Amino acid sequence: MPRIVRGVLITALVVVVLIWLESGFGASPGFQTVLPDAAWRQLVLFAMVNVVIALSLNVINGMAGQFSIGHAGFVGIGAYTGALVAGHLHVRLGSGDPQFANSFIVMPLVLLASGTIAALFGLLVGLPSLRLRGDYLAIVTLGFAEIFRLVIATAQTGGTAEGSVAKFLASLGGQNGYAGPEGNGVPQYAGPFWIFGSVIVATLIAWRIKFSGWGRALRALREDEIAASAVGVDPTRYKVVSFVIAAAGAGVAGGLFASMHDGSPTVQPDSFTFVQSFDAITMVILGGSGSVSGAIVGGVFVTVTVKLIEQLQGLESIQAFRADHPSIDLNALRMVVYAAVLIGLMILRPEGLFGEREIFRRKRPKKGGGDPDNNAAQKSQSTQESTQDSENSTPADKESTESASSKQATSETLTTAEGTAS
Amino acid sequence: MSELVLKNVTKRFGGLRAVGDVSFTVPEQSIFGLIGPNGAGKTTVFNLITGVYKPDAGSAIRFGETDLLPLKPPMIARLGIARTFQNIRLFGQLSVIENVLVASEKNRKAHLGAALLRLPIFYRDESETYDKALELLRIFDLHKMADETSTSLSYGNQRRLEIARAMMLKPKMLLLDEPAAGMNYGEAEGLKKQIHWLRDEFKLTVVLVEHNMQVVMGVCEELHVLDHGETIAHGTPEHVKKDPKVLAAYLGEEASESTTEAAP
Repeated sequence: MPRIVRGVLITALVVVVLIWLESGFGASPGFQTVLPDAAWRQLVLFAMVNVVIALSLNVINGMAGQFSIGHAGFVGIGAYTGALVAGHLHVRLGSGDPQFANSFIVMPLVLLASGTIAALFGLLVGLPSLRLRGDYLAIVTLGFAEIFRLVIATAQTGGTAEGSVAKFLASLGGQNGYAGPEGNGVPQYAGPFWIFGSVIVATLIAWRIKFSGWGRALRALREDEIAASAVGVDPTRYKVVSFVIAAAGAGVAGGLFASMHDGSPTVQPDSFTFVQSFDAITMVILGGSGSVSGAIVGGVFVTVTVKLIEQLQGLESIQAFRADHPSIDLNALRMVVYAAVLIGLMILRPEGLFGEREIFRRKRPKKGGGDPDNNAAQKSQSTQESTQDSENSTPADKESTESASSKQATSETLTTAEGTAS
Repeated sequence: MSELVLKNVTKRFGGLRAVGDVSFTVPEQSIFGLIGPNGAGKTTVFNLITGVYKPDAGSAIRFGETDLLPLKPPMIARLGIARTFQNIRLFGQLSVIENVLVASEKNRKAHLGAALLRLPIFYRDESETYDKALELLRIFDLHKMADETSTSLSYGNQRRLEIARAMMLKPKMLLLDEPAAGMNYGEAEGLKKQIHWLRDEFKLTVVLVEHNMQVVMGVCEELHVLDHGETIAHGTPEHVKKDPKVLAAYLGEEASESTTEAAP
């Protein structure tokens, strides 16, 4: 099948599945059929938002090797932008319950605005700090994220704000959070269609960045900046562009987060503290720096682990234990358990779950029959095939990739981790 | 014409004059050797040519018609000046062929947008550069390890991979920083042949920093000798070999006196 036909068919299939998840075509929405428990639905959507955050952070931290530790700041900018846009559009559309049909008007604008504004701030932060070699980016991003949060959290609400900037900041609700223009909550337009759809698109983008000449230059830059510039790679340009891409991705994740189904009705500055930035870094490093699959798995893993530890507290035996020993603060122990899990993983797999590898990456098939060890004697079309194939490796259509590759009987598995770890 | 001209090039690091008032011209398609004892400033000269360091006021470095002084390293590389490093600098986590592919930066037609949309130009570009990279790996006999990570290669192979990567730039000039370091006699002989062959095949100018005299005397057509950042001799290998200052720098004052006395 020609590449384009296959692409169109897969896209159509994915879109149909996503619409079914959201609307159910008249019947009950597919997502609710699959997951009847609202708490689990919320957890899944939240995990997917975190996956978008991890995927975007992976571009700058994993691929470009520049340490950004203020990613939550960009998520926050995206969230507030998204909440403002969604809130005002919702009023224009006549308020009421958010309709799925209306989300096709609201969400594209929300995501576009969130991504663009976050990208602009990314440019503002990245341009001066990425011209220099070293750890400046870490310091600047950390500072930036805190400044952003504090500016919003400490804005004077109610009463005497003067000047348009102060009035605007006050309208964001300060420490209490932003609850839409009418104060009755940010409209929750981002259902499974938009959230899963964004994850798929973000995965595609991350994957195509990594497996392209552009991504190769980025990874080379991470390995050795001097050598990369000696072969014509402009470090500043690559670093700034990848940082802006990461910021835009974080903004989109923020936009999704703000108007997520079953999410919090307000956007609060405390959702974007250093702890959230740190969680994002954990997701990337846990999954494996530079690995797209790793970022996805890391995002899900961290979200679910934190949630599971919370759920464990509800168990009867734990409740009984708590009643017997009131002096032990289980809430504080939660972080200890989380930390222990992370430490254990880092000891077992210091390079992260995946290292820089991917789950579904076919090796370039061997060409010619002569020398069986002649790994390199591939021809150009084989690279075409492998890149083409990699397009399909989004979570939604893993199966199709799997079946396609098993048909062609080529070796593609999670490359053995041992041995190559260095 | 793309000859390399250095005029009165000086570089100080704090109080230390690493390179002092060095001038020389590398003719097009020659094999030019830059030699001298340890700490003579040879690698600094390479770093000045490639833009890693900027020389002090009064210096001039030109490549053909282009003034190199205002340019940053990536631009100088794109002009066609490729280099290798004394302490090998490969992209460790990247595979052997990826190391070479990175150097196609200048000639890459498919930019980020095309890569994201996977336009036809992206596939064409990727397959063309793969073919080119593979061809280069074959020249340097590295094609069998194309998919291995570059850190897993032996020392000699890593050196050769660095040259292959530099050649992917389609350079007009190749700066080799101690390519024979750590090589045995046989490997060094092979390197000599390879340098000659590269120059003839790709119409290159080669500038060589090297300690291995077997290589320097066997391959260079013109030599420039530095000691403590100063020029002490210049000329053909035969001429330089007999220069008393060179002998003094390499062998010490007394030894050179005795040899000059012994010489007719």
